[in-house]
Amino acid sequence: MERQLKRKSLASIMGIVVLVGAGGFIAVRHARADGAKSAEPAAASQVKIDNFTFTAQSITVRVGTEVTWVNRDDIPHTVVSQDGAFKSKALDTDDKFSFKFSQPGTYHYFCSIHPKMTAEVVVK
Amino acid sequence: MNPTDRDEIVREHDHNHNRDGVDRRGFLKCMAWAGAGALCVMQGGVLTSYSLGETAKKKMNGELSFVQLSDSHMGFNKPANPDVTATLQVALDRIKALQTQPEFLIHTGDVTHLAKPEQFDTVAQMLKGTPGQDIFYVPGEHDMIDDNGKGYLDRFGKNTQGAGWYSFEKKGVHFIGLVNVMDLKAGGLGTLGPEQLEWMEKDVKHLSHSTPIVVFAHIPLWTVYEDWGWGTQDSGQALSYLKKFGSVTVLNGHIHQTMQKVEGNVTFHTACSTAFPQPQPGAAPGPGPMKVPAEQLRTLLGITDVNYVRGKHSLAVIDSNLA
Repeated sequence: MERQLKRKSLASIMGIVVLVGAGGFIAVRHARADGAKSAEPAAASQVKIDNFTFTAQSITVRVGTEVTWVNRDDIPHTVVSQDGAFKSKALDTDDKFSFKFSQPGTYHYFCSIHPKMTAEVVVK
Repeated sequence: MNPTDRDEIVREHDHNHNRDGVDRRGFLKCMAWAGAGALCVMQGGVLTSYSLGETAKKKMNGELSFVQLSDSHMGFNKPANPDVTATLQVALDRIKALQTQPEFLIHTGDVTHLAKPEQFDTVAQMLKGTPGQDIFYVPGEHDMIDDNGKGYLDRFGKNTQGAGWYSFEKKGVHFIGLVNVMDLKAGGLGTLGPEQLEWMEKDVKHLSHSTPIVVFAHIPLWTVYEDWGWGTQDSGQALSYLKKFGSVTVLNGHIHQTMQKVEGNVTFHTACSTAFPQPQPGAAPGPGPMKVPAEQLRTLLGITDVNYVRGKHSLAVIDSNLA
């Protein structure tokens, strides 16, 4: 028993040391990140527009997630929900559009300039 | 792409005695010619193409001559062509240098890149200085961005119907400007819509069968390449109204390269952009701007000149590049 306790406390002490170490590291990283640019919220997801294609074509996210589209093409595109839930302005090269999904469901969307470009967001 | 090639194409057109005026070899040559500006000469109802280099030198014999400009994409400034104003100016200078001055210009859309007021104004201002005459526009999808075409229609929509369609007569030729870039549906191609189709049916009903018809619209009215949306889903309906006519010429833009096809009484032709080339169908992962070495760019941009000769079956269409 005594030996076991000793081992346990040793293990916890080591664990604390590791945690403190990691915590210190995380704190430093955060400070740096804050100094440069605020970190993206954890519940975020990105869709790239590349070569007239939404990538990925289908993403699944949790309710409350903010999805950001970024246009990597030399040609403007739009992000338009087929049921009218969201509609971006024309996104020129590197422009972004974000929408927070607060209701579950499957959202089909397309580029209203190049309607062959279609994709979906599944919100669970 | 050199003058000799162009000569040969003209010769092939001249020597072709089929009613359609284009044989397969000629068609493929036209494809290889992609990017050249063109003069369209309407000769007896069939469109015949000549290079602008050629037409600048000789006088065309026709009752009516006009030039098609397309896809000036004012505001585009990416590496494929950082100065679309300069290349549009070269195109306009070529038009001014033509032996036979066109009576008017048509612009088959994507006047601007982002439908910004200053982009429309720049093009309108530059085209004002061209010889003559009226300029007839139809919108491209880029001219409809964000405001559903309001900026376009405010400037160019006078005397048009609906989203900007209209018709007019010039020397016995009936011209129809169509809009196939409004209310595009997910997964679909270009669309004319029932209201415009109904108008078009009425518009041509009273015309005699011998009236030469020229239809112009931004997105091709034949399916060039469905995967890239290069077609118009209800164009079949529009073309069915034109079956009774002996000579129908369809002029489109959108695909930034020249292509020609003949189907019965209808000759289809697409024009080059004055801004940047796009890849041949399926030749790239997507239809984005084709980046080419600076010295090649102008060989892939161009204009189209059209000439109509009464009593013949086709218009002569001449593409020529800006090199």
